[in-house]
Amino acid sequence: MASPGGQGGGALSTRGGGARRMKWALELSMGNSRSRGDRQGGQGDVVYPIGFSEKPVPDTSIQETDKNLVEKRCWDVALGPLKQIPMNLFIMYMSGNTISIFPIMMVCMMAWRPIQALMSMSATFKLLESSSQQWLQGLVYLVGNLLGSALAIYKCQSMGLLPTHSSDWLAFIGPPERMEIMGGGMVL
Amino acid sequence: MAKLIGLCLNVVILCSTVGAVFEDQVGKFDWRQQYVGKVLFSNFDAQSQSSKKVIVATENNVFASLNIRTGELFWRHVDAIGPEGKIDALLHHGQDALLVVGDGRLLRSWEINIGGLNWEIVLDSGSFQSACLIGQQDIVKHVAVLKKTAISLHYLSNGHQKWIENLPESETVDYQSVYSGGNGEVYVLGIVPHSHIAIVVYSLEDGEIIRQFSVEAPWLSNIQASCAVIGEGMLTCADSATVSLYMLDLESQTEMSQIPLQSLGLEVTPGFQPVLRSTQPNAARPPLSEFFLQVGPEQHLLLQLNDGQIVTLRDFNPALLVSFATTGEKTIAAVMSPKNTTACSLNLFSAETGRRLLDTTLIFPLDPNGGKPEELYVQAFLKKDDSVGYRVMVQTEDHTLTFIQQPGRVMWTREEALSDVVTMEMVDLPLTGTQAELEGEFGKKAGSLDGLFSMVLKRLSSQLILLQASISHLWKLFYDARKPRSQVKNEVTIENLSRDEFNLQKMMVMVTASGKLFGIDSKTGTIVWRHYLDNIPANAAFKLMVQRTTAHFPHPPQCTLLIKDKDTGLATLHVFNPIFGKKSHVTPPAMPQPILQSLMLPVMDQDYAKVLLLVDDQYKVSAFPSTKNVLQQLQEIASTIFFYLVDSSQGRLSGYRLRTDLSTELIWEVVVPTEVQKIVSVKGKRPNEHVHSQGRVMGDRSVLYKYLNPNLLAVVTESTDTHPERSFMGILLIDGVTGRIIHEAVQRKAKGPVHIVHSENWVVYEYWSTKSRRNEFSVIELYEGMELYNSTVFSSLDRPHAPQVLQQSYIFPSSISTMEATLTEKGITSRHLLIGLPSGGILSLPKMFLDPRRPEIVTEQSREENLIPYAPELLIRSEWFINYNQTVTRVRGIYTAPSGLESTCLVVAYGLDIYQTRVYPSKQFDVLKDDYDYMLISSVLLALFFATMISKRLAEVKLLNRAWR
Repeated sequence: MASPGGQGGGALSTRGGGARRMKWALELSMGNSRSRGDRQGGQGDVVYPIGFSEKPVPDTSIQETDKNLVEKRCWDVALGPLKQIPMNLFIMYMSGNTISIFPIMMVCMMAWRPIQALMSMSATFKLLESSSQQWLQGLVYLVGNLLGSALAIYKCQSMGLLPTHSSDWLAFIGPPERMEIMGGGMVL
Repeated sequence: MAKLIGLCLNVVILCSTVGAVFEDQVGKFDWRQQYVGKVLFSNFDAQSQSSKKVIVATENNVFASLNIRTGELFWRHVDAIGPEGKIDALLHHGQDALLVVGDGRLLRSWEINIGGLNWEIVLDSGSFQSACLIGQQDIVKHVAVLKKTAISLHYLSNGHQKWIENLPESETVDYQSVYSGGNGEVYVLGIVPHSHIAIVVYSLEDGEIIRQFSVEAPWLSNIQASCAVIGEGMLTCADSATVSLYMLDLESQTEMSQIPLQSLGLEVTPGFQPVLRSTQPNAARPPLSEFFLQVGPEQHLLLQLNDGQIVTLRDFNPALLVSFATTGEKTIAAVMSPKNTTACSLNLFSAETGRRLLDTTLIFPLDPNGGKPEELYVQAFLKKDDSVGYRVMVQTEDHTLTFIQQPGRVMWTREEALSDVVTMEMVDLPLTGTQAELEGEFGKKAGSLDGLFSMVLKRLSSQLILLQASISHLWKLFYDARKPRSQVKNEVTIENLSRDEFNLQKMMVMVTASGKLFGIDSKTGTIVWRHYLDNIPANAAFKLMVQRTTAHFPHPPQCTLLIKDKDTGLATLHVFNPIFGKKSHVTPPAMPQPILQSLMLPVMDQDYAKVLLLVDDQYKVSAFPSTKNVLQQLQEIASTIFFYLVDSSQGRLSGYRLRTDLSTELIWEVVVPTEVQKIVSVKGKRPNEHVHSQGRVMGDRSVLYKYLNPNLLAVVTESTDTHPERSFMGILLIDGVTGRIIHEAVQRKAKGPVHIVHSENWVVYEYWSTKSRRNEFSVIELYEGMELYNSTVFSSLDRPHAPQVLQQSYIFPSSISTMEATLTEKGITSRHLLIGLPSGGILSLPKMFLDPRRPEIVTEQSREENLIPYAPELLIRSEWFINYNQTVTRVRGIYTAPSGLESTCLVVAYGLDIYQTRVYPSKQFDVLKDDYDYMLISSVLLALFFATMISKRLAEVKLLNRAWR
């Protein structure tokens, strides 16, 4: 039984362990048949190839989905920005028109979110691809975001953050050039 | 957005109203120098050798005591300006100094050690003639004051009057002098000019007339100028017409005996009035019988009266100045004689014998930029070996006091001319040598002719120099940081003068009434250079102009001083380098015609010097410098050059335009009738003023545009009628180009002196309201309205709309001496008014308190604009005083100059004292604070840096470990 071999043989033995019945086996450790039997018993239910399951796998192939469900989901995405508007209005009302750190942060958030959404418009369209009303949903999504940003601009306006008055451009008026040179004074 | 800016501004403005200094900032940015003025009387405290005081009474009505070791003031008393506080006489006895003040109005006794007032009494009215100490039996107990009609005797101890007597025949006799020889008699010497001398002798005890007699003296006109009492009551007078001395024994009442000087073998310089100088060391004893006779401008004689015979002890020729001094029982004569062109020598002579004392020569160095010696004050003291030592204080024509010790060591000098600064300018300091080197490399003079290789070499070498300079600078910083602050002394010399990082250190060029010019380093107050202009007429008008700044390396900066003699109208120009004080090589033009005014154009010649136009009395204009280039430029722009002249005596304001041939044409004239009112002052805007904001933001966020007319003049008139019910003052805003009157206001029941500041779009003036008897401020602001007419160019000739005028007045709790507005580089910083108060404080009043838009009823909009609700009273808050306890006496002017930092404005207040400081009208928004914790910030930064490094490493290790698992 004893034969020259190496660790490769050991590997073989473990692989062999995967099958319940061995056609042949290499025994590296001398003579201790009891211990071999123990090892076999220990390895028996632990070491399976990856993805191996003893139970039969149920059938997971994609089934036909409910068309209505997709539509619904897409409308959810498209109407998301519009749904936020009442919330935003409430926040706007609550934060007031004074300029301090929290209202500024609110306004920034309000302005930034629609812009971000508009920037990632193409990704949203991909989401809506499967829907039959893709274009309508896209339009609604766009309008919702535009409304959101309009609201933010309105808020900026009411807070006085938009340079819409002549005073906002005052700093850019340079001193006028002097056309005449004048001097003199009391007769010394 | 505007709100955001508004908020920031609000923070800035609210912070700015608190502007006091902290205790550790005292003397850090500011300095003060105290002066006394030109010395009239001076006395050394002759108590002992160790005494270190000299008391001086000056033309500026100042009585002070100087430390003779350092020249610093021990104490100083400043009296009222003008004849009211004029010091007529100074008598010194022991620990007391007696002053007669205000043409004999007051007699005061001061304790000279601490400068405390012993007593003060009001004398009877009458113009003061003379005063002298009276003693008897070696004790001086009384002082006699001679007035036009009476003589009074007072006790020295308490000032009480012992007796007062009316002088006989005081309508015809002009009593001029009082004398006492310590024998219980008081001699009053009077004169009827060109007729006789009247002598009245009073008894010291009760004021009874003991004797009264008169002596014929038809040649005599003034006793004080030409007579002196010598020896035992021998009145000696010198007469230039007969070239002789006249002598009269006051006790024996004989005729005057004539002694021709020729009989003594003496000659008088023709046309020279001989001057006698005697000395009376102790008021309780008769004067010495030795006296000086000055017979020529540089010839003095030491004479002795010996048994009625006059003996010449010594002839000093040449001798500039002579003086007697007494120590103990010894009286010595000090004689100053010219040695060479750079020094004078002083020698001591024994008064009794005329022998020269050994080892008493002292060298007085003559400053080539100073004046000639004028007066000699000698302090003599006995040394341990009983020989006489001395120190002298020399006063020169330029009002400089120099104190010298043997053998010619100058202990200190005081530039008393600085007590009377007329005008000043601040000039940027030049770049350092290395910076200049770099400039030179890229300057036009560095040739493009040089090859590429040499240019590379040049660049490398200049970089090396820069590196070296910065390393040495760092080293110096490190080295100085280890020393305590008090030991770090930065000596300022011409060599190490250079512009600092933020242009905070400048050169103050000061022009004084005596004609001495000074260059003072603004950081430390060190006098860097001085230059005395002799031949300055007594009532000269000065105008100082900076023709070229330091920005045009390698051309030196250039200042021009216009000096005009008001009597003849003739003017001269002094052109000099403001950094070194040297006279420029540029020859100023000769001006044979009287000059009316000058005008600095923003036009430069090819050497970057601004062109100065001088208008003569024919209204012809000459240019300086007048090169071809300049004349060509002038021809091109002549049609845009206008100037105005204000003749106060005729009440005429007139405007002229320049023609291409440099003649002028009158284009407008406004006449203010001189019978009703006179023009007091005319203020234009400062040419270096910048206005950053063209308008004001209203509460509804619209803009009210400012009317920024650079040609606007504010003319102040005062009524000739000074009755409180009828007096008024007027203010006239005139466009200097077109003569158009923009605004006119009359303040009824108001009186001058009016102080006015004209800047940006506002005029602030202060006057005395005779109706309510209080000082009032008034502010006028001009606005264009909600629309700008033309935002790109301003031409006075094209302004169809009149500006809106707003005005408001306030009550101010104090009278003021002078007023000026702060000035900054770009005009972003809010403006403050700097007000010099008679109390010696300098107040920094925010302009926002003087704003005609301050509302009476507070509205939402006015609150939005940060307008303070109107309150008639302006309060003086003590934290507004920029000079904390550094009182600036008699402020006459305040000069403001921008620095390189927008937040900082340099301020110099001058009067009797000079005070320099910096103000931050909107706080130091562009500077890190002094106590900014660099250590903390940098250590936190470093710690954070290392923390990130370490945590990065740790994270890497952790990731690796996780990968291995």
